[in-house]
Amino acid sequence: MTALLEIEDLRVTFNTRHGQVTALDSVSLHVNEGETLGVVGESGCGKSITALSVMGLIPSPPGRIAGGEIRLDGENLVGASDKRLRRLRGAEAAMIFQEPMTSLNPVFTVGEQIAEAIMLHQKVSHDRAFRDAIELLDRVGIPSPESRARDYPHQLSGGMRQRVMIAMAVSCRPRVLIADEPTTALDVTVQAQIFDLLNEIQRDFGAAIVLITHDMGAISEMADRVAVMYAGRVIEEASADNVLDHPLHPYARGLIDCIPALGREETDLKEIPGVVPPLHLLGEGCAFADRCAHCEPRCLREKPRLVTHGNHPAAHPAACHGVEEGRI
Amino acid sequence: MTGTTAQKAPEARSPAREAWRMYRRNLPAVAGAIILLAIIGATLYGTFFYGGDPFEIVWAPHEAPGATPEFPLGTDYLGRDIVAGLLTGGGPTLAVGAAAALITMIIGVSLGALAGYYGGWLDNLLMRFTEFFQVLPALLFAMVLITLFSPSLWTIAIAIGVVSWPQTARLTRAEFLKIKELEYVTAARAIGAKNGRIIWKVILPNAAPPLIVSATLTIGVAILFEAGLSFLGLGDPNQMSWGLMIGANREYILDAWWPVTFPGLAIFLTVFAVSLVGDGLNDAFNPKLRER
Repeated sequence: MTALLEIEDLRVTFNTRHGQVTALDSVSLHVNEGETLGVVGESGCGKSITALSVMGLIPSPPGRIAGGEIRLDGENLVGASDKRLRRLRGAEAAMIFQEPMTSLNPVFTVGEQIAEAIMLHQKVSHDRAFRDAIELLDRVGIPSPESRARDYPHQLSGGMRQRVMIAMAVSCRPRVLIADEPTTALDVTVQAQIFDLLNEIQRDFGAAIVLITHDMGAISEMADRVAVMYAGRVIEEASADNVLDHPLHPYARGLIDCIPALGREETDLKEIPGVVPPLHLLGEGCAFADRCAHCEPRCLREKPRLVTHGNHPAAHPAACHGVEEGRI
Repeated sequence: MTGTTAQKAPEARSPAREAWRMYRRNLPAVAGAIILLAIIGATLYGTFFYGGDPFEIVWAPHEAPGATPEFPLGTDYLGRDIVAGLLTGGGPTLAVGAAAALITMIIGVSLGALAGYYGGWLDNLLMRFTEFFQVLPALLFAMVLITLFSPSLWTIAIAIGVVSWPQTARLTRAEFLKIKELEYVTAARAIGAKNGRIIWKVILPNAAPPLIVSATLTIGVAILFEAGLSFLGLGDPNQMSWGLMIGANREYILDAWWPVTFPGLAIFLTVFAVSLVGDGLNDAFNPKLRER
């Protein structure tokens, strides 16, 4: 069976004042129907660019999809016409943004905005769309949806707004839902509610979810499979349990070590030293080399490929020479 | 709560209705609207109650206001009735102001929106075009246009519109440049909205407040512009207007203050009322002020 959404060898470049940089370098991912794929990594690793590429929303210029394919149900979206992409956006693939504070239009009521989204893809009257919007608000757990539908975004709390965004995103029953750090801007208690809601929505609508996050806690709660990204590449990919219990790549290990645990008396939190290198300074070798405790000369010369090394039951694809050589 | 959701036919309160609710509570704005409506009403229907040809010489020149009950605001240097002049001259003045502002907004907002939204070479092209108009001295350019196409209300309105749109275009472009980067624009694109829809329904409503203010200011400027052109003798000579009254009587201002003062006051009051209305509209369309 082919996956619902397949990204193959995707390469995205940006023209910057440092010349052309490669924001995504041969990224391959796939999600099946009803599955949740977690995409993790620090800021600047290319998670959001991946999401925007799928939606066909890479700002162009300066951005450009330089190669690869994005297949939604077998149809390649790279190079598809604007008209076709517009049809697909919202109807087949929808996106939830990071900042619920700014991703709703401030001058229209939330009900109105959801109704607009419905009318973009379905031939229904405005009244009907508005009624559907109220039902959706009810569905995403907004109390007294009928009066809330007439509220403006600034009258709602952050959690409520994110619920509205989710209602808008699922209004046309998309098959792929991309959630770009949907809870980063929210309180921890609200985060759990939003995850519950996403899980419920997935159960009801059977949508595939791509959850983009830097929060390993969110991954353990939501994801079936995980792809770890670093500097525009996927460096490790496996089932969520597998990655969380047996991370291979030193970067993935670092991310998991960074999760603070309650009850553990730790004087200082673990961290990964250094920052994600600027894309225009990426060299020949492994992008993580200068932050890696296991770096060897080969790591500076040669880019590791994403392949499974060894035949341990928990073995899974990881792009690391150290793993390949059995050093790590 | 949940049970009643589906049944009751919900009426979606339109932004316009919502704005009207806000506007009603804004006292200066309501006062402005009343003054403006009174002025418009007087210029439209005033002549039914107060007859008289504004060009006809009806009395001795420079009759002071109040001296003769028949001519409450006196007469001008030719002995023409000033009240008749104000009532008949208001229509053309207001019409030219409104038409010129409309032309300004249509040209300015369209070009500014296209330039700001699409950017790139289109932006470059449109902005160079705008600058070309911007560097021409407005009054002189308008005078050239009017003398080229004999002065009439229409040519005056078009001339004022043609010389004043660049500012609106720049303002619109700046607003579009700012708003198009915001996340809700990307979000609108992500649900499949077309460019036209994003321009009209997403960005423009958010850019509206400064544009509405600028539109009302443009009406004021256009009325003053028309008065200035008439003052210079470039108005339509067959059409009484407030500017024409001021222009014709300016030489005798030291002998008689009233023939220029009353039309001047009328212009002042109109522009003042229009800007009150503009401020009110601006507030009314800003949802963040609505719960106050």
